[in-house]
Amino acid sequence: MALAGCAETRRPGGRAQRREIPVVSVVRQQGYTEDLYATVRRTLAGHHLDVRGKTVVLKPNLVEFEAGSVINTNPMLVHAALEAFKAMGAANVRIAEGPGHRRGTLDLADAAGYFKTIPGFEELFTDLNLDDVSQIELAHPVSRLQSLYLPHTALSCDLLVSIPKMKTHHWAVATLSMKNLFGVVPGGVYGWPKNVLHWAGIAECITDIHRVFPRTFALVDGIVGMEGNGPIQGTAKAAGVIVAGKDLAAVDATCCRLMRIDPLHVEYLLLSRDSTELAQAAIRQAGEPIASLSTPFELLPQFRSARL
Amino acid sequence: MTCAILMSRQNPDGGWPYRTGASWTEPTALVLLAQTVSEGSRDSFERGLRWLRAAQRRDGGWPPCTSVVQSIWVTSFVLLLSAEHLGEESYSRGMEWLLNQMGEESTFIYKTRQLLLGHRAPADQGDAGWPWFPGASAWVFPTAAGVLAMRKAVPTRRVRERLDAGRRFLLARMCADGGWNHGSTHALGYEAGSYPETTGMALLALSDVPQERLRRSFKTAQGELRECRSAEAASWLQLGLRAHGMSVEADASPALKYRDVRDTALGVLATAAAHGKSAFL
Repeated sequence: MALAGCAETRRPGGRAQRREIPVVSVVRQQGYTEDLYATVRRTLAGHHLDVRGKTVVLKPNLVEFEAGSVINTNPMLVHAALEAFKAMGAANVRIAEGPGHRRGTLDLADAAGYFKTIPGFEELFTDLNLDDVSQIELAHPVSRLQSLYLPHTALSCDLLVSIPKMKTHHWAVATLSMKNLFGVVPGGVYGWPKNVLHWAGIAECITDIHRVFPRTFALVDGIVGMEGNGPIQGTAKAAGVIVAGKDLAAVDATCCRLMRIDPLHVEYLLLSRDSTELAQAAIRQAGEPIASLSTPFELLPQFRSARL
Repeated sequence: MTCAILMSRQNPDGGWPYRTGASWTEPTALVLLAQTVSEGSRDSFERGLRWLRAAQRRDGGWPPCTSVVQSIWVTSFVLLLSAEHLGEESYSRGMEWLLNQMGEESTFIYKTRQLLLGHRAPADQGDAGWPWFPGASAWVFPTAAGVLAMRKAVPTRRVRERLDAGRRFLLARMCADGGWNHGSTHALGYEAGSYPETTGMALLALSDVPQERLRRSFKTAQGELRECRSAEAASWLQLGLRAHGMSVEADASPALKYRDVRDTALGVLATAAAHGKSAFL
C-alpha cells in the first residue's frame, strides 16, 4: 500500500503550508462474515499505525435499539478492529460510545448485538455519556462554543478510532467518521440529545470536535449502509465497502464519492478543509478504485443538488 | 428491590457514581430519593445530602458533577428532595434557579428575533418547558423532571404558571401512538415514534391530568413495558402507569439488567411505588 507524500496547500487567507497527502483505503467487503477479520487486519496494517504499547479507543455509532436494522455500526466490524489492534501490539483497546438519543447505553449495545459478538464486552466498554469529564477550551472555534466538556477516556487515549456507519443524514447530508465524533460529547452534561451542539451549529461543531482530537483514525462500515432519511429512519443500502484512513476529512470525502455525493456540498467538510484538499486528486487512494464500488445513496429532496 | 444494594456503591465523598468513578448529581439525588421510601442507612443518607449541599452552585442550581461549572436540568431531581432534607435556603435557591430556566425558543430575545425575521413559531412552541442544558431547546425528559419538581414545591403563582405551561408542553408533544419521543412529534415531516423512558416519565408528570386525555398513552405504555429492554425505561413506565392507578401486568422482566446506580435506584423507587409509596408525588 502506498505511503503518504507531501503537497503544498493554501488555506483561505492564510500562508501556504505543507501537508501530508492523506491515504484512504477503499476495501471491498461483501458481508459481515468471518473474512471480515482478515480484511480489517490487512487494511489497518496498510496504514502503518504504530500502536505498540498504546491505548486505542474504538468509537462505533450506536443510536437505536434495533439489532436487525442498519442504524448501528455492526458489532463484527468493531470486534475485528479490536482483534486487529491487539494483534498490532496495542496495550489497551477499549470500546466507547455516548449515544445521542437513548440513555441506556449498555442496553442499547446489548440490543445491537455487541454483548453477543464481543467477548467480555461490558469490561471493555466505557459509556462516554457518563465518563468523568474535563473542560477543554476550543482553539479558534468555528462554532459558537468556546469550550466543551469531554470524557477522559477519549481525551487520554493515544488513538481514537471512529467507526461509523455509512449513512445519509437529514441535516448534514451524510454522517461519517467526523460526525460520529458527536458521540464523544457527554450526554451526562449536555443531555439526550446533545442539543447544545445543534444551537451552536451542527457543521461547525463537527469541525470543532474533530480539531480537539489530533490522533484519530477512521474505519467506516459501508458494508451495509443507510440511505434516504438517515440517520435513523432511512433504509438499508448494501454498498459492500470498508473505508479507512488517518485523515478523517479525506476518508469522509471519499465515502461521499462512494455514495455519489459531492463532498463540496457537505458543509462540515468545507469548514474543515480547503476545497482543493477535498479533491479526489488530493487524496491518495489505496485498494479498489472508487468507480468500481460507488453506488448512489438515495438523498432527501433538499439534498438532490449534492448528487455527483 | 431495596436500597441495601446501593450502599456499597457510595463514594467516600458521600455521592454516588453512575457506575464507577466520580460522584454525579443524578444518581446521588435518585439514591437519596429512594432512601426516603425504602429502608436505607441514616449515615449514608446524611453523607449523600452533605455531598449535594456542597455541590450546589452559587447560582442555586446543581451541576451534573463537580468538575462541571454549569448548573443543568439535574437540579429538578435534587428538588424532589424536600426543603427539610436540603435545608430551606438551599432548596429555595435551587427552586429560584429552576423557575428561571426555560427552553431557548421560549425566551423573550429569541421570540422577538423570530418575530422581526417574520418567522412564525411552530404550534407546539407556545408553552415553556425545560432544557437539558441552559441555552438549548426544551425537551420532554427535562420538562417532565421540572414538572415533577414544581408539583412538590409550595404552589406560588410562578410555580403554578410554570407547572401549567409544563403540562401543556408535554401534552402538545404526545406522539400519534399516545407516547412521548424525547422531542417533537414530527421531524422533517416524518412521525416520531415514542420512547418507553420518556413515555413513562411524561405519564408520571401528568398524573393529575384527567385520564380521558391519556387513554392511548396507557395502552402504549403497557405495550412498551412488555417489550422494554432497559431497566431505567421499565421503572419509569411502572412509575407512570401506577401514578394513574393503572395496573402493571408484572414486575420488571427478570431479563432486564440493572446495570448502574441510576437503574437500581429507579428500580427501588418503582418497587416502593408498587407498595403505595411514591417519592415523586
